Amino acid sequence: MTEDSMVTIEVDGQELKAKAGAMLIDVADQAGIDIPRFCYHNKLSVSANCRMCLIEVEKVPKPIPACATSVMDGMKVYTKSPMALAAQKGTMEFLLINHPLDCPVCDQGGECELQDQSLAYGSDVARFVEKKRLVPKKYIGPLVETNFNRCIHCTRCVRFSAEIAGMREMGSTGRGEYMKIGTYVERTIDSELSGNLIDICPVGSLTSKPYRYQARAWELTQSDSVAPHDAVGSNIHIHVRNNRVMRVHPKANEAVNECWISDRDRFSYEGLYSEDRLTSPMIKENGRWVETDWETALQQVADGLKEMGAGTGALLSPSATVEELYLAQKLVRSLGSDNIDFRVRQSDFRGGEPALPWLGLGIDEIEAVDAVLVIGANPRKDQPILGHRLRKAALNGASVCYLNPLEYDLNYHAEQLLSAPANMADDLAAVAKAVGATGAIIDDAEVKAQHQSVAEQLKQAGSALVLLGNLASAHPDYSILSALAAEVAKASGAKIGFIGEAANSTGARLVAAMPTDGLNAQSMLEQPCKGYLLLGLEPDRDFWNPTQAQTAFKQAEFVVALTAYRSASLEAAADVLLPMAGFAETSGTYVNGDGTWQSFAGAVQPMGEARPAWKILRVMGNLLDADGFDQNSSQDVLEQARNSADGRQLDNSVTADLGQERRLNGSGLTRIGDVPIYATDALVRRAPALQKTADAISAAIRINPGEAAKAGLADGDRATVIQEGNLATMPVEIDPGVAGGSVRVCAALAGSETLGGQFGEVTLEKA
Amino acid sequence: MGFKSEPMTTMTPLEDKNSLFTPEIRSQIDKWIGKYPAGWKQSAVMAALSIMQDENGGWLSREIMDDVAAYLDMPPIAVYEVATFYSMYELEPVGRHKVCVCTNISCMINGSDKIVDHLEGKLGVKLGQTTEDNRFTLKEVECLGACGGAPMMQIGKQYYENLAPEKVDEILDGLE
Amino acid sequence: MKVLRNYIKSLFLLEMFKGMRLTGSYLWRKKFTIRYPEERAPMSPRFRGLHALRRDENGEECCVGCKLCEATCPAMAITIETGPREDDGSRRTTRYDIDLFKCIFCGYCVEACPVDAIVETRICDYHFEERGENIMLKDELLAIGEENRDRINSDLSAQAKYR
Repeated sequence: MTEDSMVTIEVDGQELKAKAGAMLIDVADQAGIDIPRFCYHNKLSVSANCRMCLIEVEKVPKPIPACATSVMDGMKVYTKSPMALAAQKGTMEFLLINHPLDCPVCDQGGECELQDQSLAYGSDVARFVEKKRLVPKKYIGPLVETNFNRCIHCTRCVRFSAEIAGMREMGSTGRGEYMKIGTYVERTIDSELSGNLIDICPVGSLTSKPYRYQARAWELTQSDSVAPHDAVGSNIHIHVRNNRVMRVHPKANEAVNECWISDRDRFSYEGLYSEDRLTSPMIKENGRWVETDWETALQQVADGLKEMGAGTGALLSPSATVEELYLAQKLVRSLGSDNIDFRVRQSDFRGGEPALPWLGLGIDEIEAVDAVLVIGANPRKDQPILGHRLRKAALNGASVCYLNPLEYDLNYHAEQLLSAPANMADDLAAVAKAVGATGAIIDDAEVKAQHQSVAEQLKQAGSALVLLGNLASAHPDYSILSALAAEVAKASGAKIGFIGEAANSTGARLVAAMPTDGLNAQSMLEQPCKGYLLLGLEPDRDFWNPTQAQTAFKQAEFVVALTAYRSASLEAAADVLLPMAGFAETSGTYVNGDGTWQSFAGAVQPMGEARPAWKILRVMGNLLDADGFDQNSSQDVLEQARNSADGRQLDNSVTADLGQERRLNGSGLTRIGDVPIYATDALVRRAPALQKTADAISAAIRINPGEAAKAGLADGDRATVIQEGNLATMPVEIDPGVAGGSVRVCAALAGSETLGGQFGEVTLEKA
Repeated sequence: MGFKSEPMTTMTPLEDKNSLFTPEIRSQIDKWIGKYPAGWKQSAVMAALSIMQDENGGWLSREIMDDVAAYLDMPPIAVYEVATFYSMYELEPVGRHKVCVCTNISCMINGSDKIVDHLEGKLGVKLGQTTEDNRFTLKEVECLGACGGAPMMQIGKQYYENLAPEKVDEILDGLE
Repeated sequence: MKVLRNYIKSLFLLEMFKGMRLTGSYLWRKKFTIRYPEERAPMSPRFRGLHALRRDENGEECCVGCKLCEATCPAMAITIETGPREDDGSRRTTRYDIDLFKCIFCGYCVEACPVDAIVETRICDYHFEERGENIMLKDELLAIGEENRDRINSDLSAQAKYR
C-alpha cells in the first residue's frame, strides 16, 4: 500500500475517506468527531502515553489509542461505544489520582483540557482517598511558571522542547509514582519559543508568569491581530479585560506561524503599560516640557512643518503600519519634501538592494528547500518563526550554511562560516567563484575548501535559497553583499530572498515610504534637515548611528515626534511630542516578508490622550490644507494605500555594481553592532519579563580570546570602546563565537547610544 | 518515547572523546556500541551506565552521567531519564553490599515480608537505607525473574533463593 | 323590608360592633407582633443578608480569588482584581467590591464559592448616608466576617447538610 492511496473507514457509522497511514485521531478531527486527548498534538511526535484517546475498533479485542493507530481500509471505529467510554472514564480516573483539586487557584481554570474532559468523560465522584503526590515547583525562567503537582505526564512539553524548540533540556525522570517532568538539574529554558510551552500544556502545570493570577479565561475578550516585531507577521489573539491587554496567544495560520509564536510576540504587550507611556501631547516651552491639548499641539506642529516645508525630513519606523507610513509619506510629500525613509538601520544606500526586496518565497515554502545560504542574519533570534522554518528544512535534510561575523548557537546542524565584517564580501565572493560566477571581486577571490563545500551544496540542491538578513542590511557594504549574493543565486540557480528588518519593511516599500530622489535615512542625518518628523522611533536606540541622529535632531529647528513613549532622548531631540497609540491600540496592516497583507483591528482604546498615528497624520494633513486627507477610517486609508501600491511588484533582482569601493577595509578592529532579540523596538525594550531572560543581554564588549589577548583584556575587565571619537565604557566578555578582527558591541542597548554606526572601526582601551 | 532520531543527539558533539574515562572503560563501552547499528550509539547507554556504576563503587554521580552523555553524543537529560528510571542504577552512594529483596507477587506470597522484617531488624535500617558502618544497603526491588525460588534476594550480582530468616543470617554473616 | 333592615343596622352601628368584637378579642390574646428592633423574628441559618468575607482559624483570608462569584453574579455586583501576594506569591484578591445597590441577594456567590469565603450573614438592617458607601470594599467585608465570626461559623455548620 503506498502512502498516497486512499482508504475508506467508518467512524461512529459515518463513512470517511482518509489517506492510508494517517492516524485515526487526525481523520476523526477532520470529520469533526471529538476524541478526547492530552498527549497528542498534531505538530509533535506521537507518544500515546496519556491513554485518553482509547476507542473501540471492530475485531480488536481491547480499546486502542486513536493517536497511534493508523487507518486501514474497512476499519470500523466506535468512539462512543460502551467499551470506549468505559476506557476513557477509567483513564480519566487514573489521571486525576494525583491531580490536585486546585482549579480555583489555577490559572488554567476555565480553559483547561483536563477540566473540560473530566466534565465530559470523567466520573462525578473520586474513589481515591489516599494522599496525593507532591512535586516541588521548579524555576525554569522568567516567562513560564511551573506547578508540577498538576502535571499529568503527557510529555508534550518534553517533545516540544526537543522537536520544536530544538533544545532537549526537559525530560521525564523517575518512573511510576515518582515520574517527574523537569530539567533534573536546575536550569532555565532559554528558548525564543519557550512561551509555547504554556499553550501546549493541557493542564495548569506550565502557565504564563507575567499573566499569573491576573485574569480568568471567561473574563477575556479575544481579538485577532498581527505581531509587530518581525517580518513573519505572526497571527495572534489579543486577550483583553477592562480595556487592558492581559495576554497574547497565537492564532494558528499554517502559511505564516503554524500554531507557534515567539516569546517576543507573546510577552511584548507588557511594554504597553510601561511607566513612560506618553499619554498627552507635550510641547517644549523655553526648554521645559509642558502638557497641552491636541489642538495647541497640532497647530504648533502644522505651523512648524509649514515653515520647514521642503526642508522637512521624515524618519519612519519600519514597524509602523501601512496606513501610518502611507499617510506620513503623503503628508511630507505635500510639503514639497521627498526626504522620507524608514530604513533607519541601513547605512549603504548605493543601490545594492533590489527595487522591492522580499523573502523570495512563501514563509511556509522555506521548510521545503534543499539548501540555504544565510548571509548576515540570525533568523533564530531575529525572526524566531523563520528560524523554526529553517530548522524544519534542516531536519528534513536541507543543508544550511551561514556566513556571519558571529557564530550562532543554532538548534540544528549547519555549517557556519565565520568571517569578520570586512571579510564577509571576500568570503561571499569566494563562494560565488566556486559556484561559477564571474565579476569584479569574484575573480580575485581565493576559494577555500569551506567555500567549495557551500557552493557544492547550493549547486546540487533541487531548490536552493540565498537569504540576506538584518546584519547584512546594516552592513556598510550591503550593496556589495547583496550584489554578490545575487551572483551566487544566479550561478547556482538558487532563489534570493531578503528578510525584512522589521514587521513592515516590505509594506513600507510598497507604499513608497522612501525617497525617489530626496534624501535617504543616512543622508538626512549626514546633511541635517531643517526639521524632522519622527514616527515611532527613539533617537538613541533605533538608528544605525545614534550619535549622528541625536546630533542632527538637536541642531534641527523643529522636530516633531509621534511616539508612544517619552524617553530622555526624545525629550532632548523633539520640540513636540504627540502621543500615538501603541501595539493593540490601533487598527492597521502589516505586509510581512513574503508580501502577505494582514490587517487587524485595535483591541483596546489608546491609553490616555493617545490617538492612532493614522488619525494624527490625517488631522495634520487637514491643518496643512493638503489634498487627500479626508479618510474616515483606517480602511479608507488602506484602500488608498493599496491603490498606490498597485503598480509596485515584489522584485528581488539586484543590479548593483560589484566593483564599488569597499567601505570596510579590515584594518584594526571592526565593531559588529547587531541588535539583540529583545532590543529591537520600543515596545520590546519596555517589556519587563522579556528583559529578565537570558537572551536580554546587556551592553558589553564581546571579543574572542585571541583579540582579547592582543588588546590586553580579560573576561570581566571594563574597557572603553572608541568609535570615531565617541566613547562608551562597558564590561568585557570573552566570546569565542566572535570573528577575529572584530568586536561585538550590540546596538540598541542602554550604554551603546553614545557610539557611532553599527559597523565601523573601533579601538579598545582598558578602563 | 517516540522521539524523532534527530533531537536525540546533541547539537555540538564532543570532538575529543579520549578525555573521557580510562582507555579500558572506553574499550568496554565501545564493545557495546559495536553491538548496535551504526548511528545508534545511544543504545549503549544502559551498558555504559552499568560499567561506570561498577567502576565508581556502585553509584552514579551527575558528573559521570554527564560524561556518559558526552561520550554517546546524547543530551544529558536523556541519560538522567534512563538512570532515574531503572532501579539498578544508584544515584547516591551505597554500602559495600547492596541487598535487593524482591517483594513482588510470588515472593510476597512466599513470605518476603518476613524476610524484609528480618533484614530490617538485623541491619537496623529501613528499606532504602544504608547501615552506619557502610556495609549494607537494603533495597526493595521489583521482580527479578526468579519466582521459582521465591522468596529471593540479590546481593551484588548473586541471587539467593528460597530464603528463610536463618538462611538470610547465614548469607549475611558470610559476607565481609 | 330590606331597606328597613339596613337602616336599623346602620343606625345601631351593628357592623362596627361586630368588627370591634373581633378586634377586641385580640386584645387579650398573646401578641405576635414584635418590638423591632429590640425584638427580632427568628431567622434561618440560610438567611441571605449582608455579605461577609471569612478568615480561617489562622487569620488567613479564605478567598483565593477564583472569581467564580464574580462570574456567577446575575447582577454583576461583584468586582474582583487578583494577583500574586507580595510575601508568599499565593493567589489573592487585590480588590473585592460588592455593590449593594446592584446586589439582589440571590446567594449565588455563596453557592459558587469553593472555599466558603464569601457568605451572606443575618445582617439585614443597614443604611447608607452617602453615595459610594453602597460599595462594600474588601476590608469592610472582612471586618464584617470577623465581627460575626461565631454566628457565621455556626450557620455554616447548620446548613452544611443541605449543600
